[in-house]
Amino acid sequence: MRGLGAFLLGMVLVLLLRSTALSPLAARGIVVDVLAFATVFWALRYGAVSGASFGFMIGLAADLDATHWMGRHALVLSILGYAIGRLARTFERESGRTQLVLIGLAVAVHQAWVVPFELGGLEGLGSGWPYLLGRVFIGALATAPLGALLLTAARRVTGRSVFGHALVNPG
Amino acid sequence: MGGFLPPAERRSSALVALYVATSLLLLAAGERLPQAMLRGVGAAIFAPLDHVIMTVDRVMGSWRENRELHGRVAVLELENSRMRTLAAEDRALREQLGLPGYQGLTLRPAEVLALAGESAASATLSAGAQQGVHPGDAVVTSDGLVGRIGEVYPSLSRVVLLTDQNAGVACEVESTGVLGVLRFAPTPFPRLLLTLVPFADTVSVGQRILTSGLSRRYPRGIPVGRVVRLGTAEGGLTQEIEVASAARLTRLRHVFIVPGPADLGVAP
Repeated sequence: MRGLGAFLLGMVLVLLLRSTALSPLAARGIVVDVLAFATVFWALRYGAVSGASFGFMIGLAADLDATHWMGRHALVLSILGYAIGRLARTFERESGRTQLVLIGLAVAVHQAWVVPFELGGLEGLGSGWPYLLGRVFIGALATAPLGALLLTAARRVTGRSVFGHALVNPG
Repeated sequence: MGGFLPPAERRSSALVALYVATSLLLLAAGERLPQAMLRGVGAAIFAPLDHVIMTVDRVMGSWRENRELHGRVAVLELENSRMRTLAAEDRALREQLGLPGYQGLTLRPAEVLALAGESAASATLSAGAQQGVHPGDAVVTSDGLVGRIGEVYPSLSRVVLLTDQNAGVACEVESTGVLGVLRFAPTPFPRLLLTLVPFADTVSVGQRILTSGLSRRYPRGIPVGRVVRLGTAEGGLTQEIEVASAARLTRLRHVFIVPGPADLGVAP
C-alpha cells in the first residue's frame, strides 16, 4: 500500500513539475526531461518491474496530456525502465558518474524517439534532424547534470544512500 | 526462450511485453479513443494541484509585474484619450460612408493552469462550460492572439495554441491588407509562418500581422505578431514569412476568452 502511494505521489509530482515549473523552459527549447529522469530513478531504486511499470504509467499520463500519438512516451519509458532496472544490480548506483551517464542516455533515447513524432514522422525528420539533434543534446545536457546533482544533494541532506539499501526485486 | 529464464524474470518479461504491446496498440489506434474525455478527467484531477503551484509562482512574479503594469497603465491612459478622439472621428466618417460600425470584443478572463507538450501546443484554462466557454472561442492576452478553445469541460477548458500544427489563422498585414494564413511549422526548426502570400504582395520585416476576420472564428484586428524574416516557400510559388508571435506564449499567466459566433463547431 505504501509502495503504491509512493508510486502515485511520484507520478503526480513529476507530471506537475512538467506542466508548471518546467514548461516555460521547454517552450524555449530547453527540455529538462523529468519523465526520463524519474523513470531512471525508479528503475535504479526499485528494479525492472517497478521501473517498467512507472515508465509505462507516467508515459501514458504524458501521452494523454499531449494532443496526438498516444503511446509514444509509454512505449519508450517502459522499455527504458525495464532495461535500466535489469542492469541496476550490475552498476555502482551511488556513483555520480554512473547516474550522469544513465540519465543522459535515457534522456537521449527518450527524446530521439518522441521528437520525430512532433516533427510529423519520417517526412518531417528529413529537414528536422538538426532540431532533433539539438533536442537530444540539450535535453541530455540539461537533465543529466541536474539529475545527478539532485541525487547527490538528496544523499548529502538525508545522510543515507539513495539506492544502496533499496529493495530491488529479482525481476 | 521463456523456459530458460527463472519464473520471476519470465513474469517481468511478460509484463514489459504487455506494456510494449499496449503502447504499440495505442500508437496505432489511439486516435480513435475518446481522448477528450480522458483528458478532461486528468485535467480535473490536476487542476487543484496546478492551482497551488501556479499561485506560488505568481506571487513571486506579481510584485515586479505590478510595477510594470502601473507604468503601462499611465501610457495606455494617454493613448486611450487619443484613441477616443480618433474613434469619434472614425464613427462619423463611417456613418457618412454608410459602413457598419465596429463591434467591441467581449473579454472573459481566465487563468492558465498548465501548458502541455514539450513545444507547448496546448494549455489548460480555469474556465469551462459553466463559465460560458464554448469550443472555438478565440483566446487572447493584452499582447495578442494566443489560440482558440479546443475542448471544454465543466469548469476547465483546453486551448489549442498558435504553436499547434493544426491551428491555422486567417491573417492580414497591418495597413497593407496583404492576406495569408498563419501556421506553425515544426521543421527545420519550430516557428510561425504566414503562408499563401504571393510574391506580388509586398511585405516588409517589422510589419504587424493581425487577424483578418476572414475566418469567422477570430474577430478582425487582433494582433498576432510581427514579421521577422522573409524568404521563399518550398515550391517557390509563395513567400515564406516568419512571424514572431505578439503574445508571449512561453509566459502565459492570464488570458481572455473572446466568445465566438454561436453556430461554429470545433473543427479548425
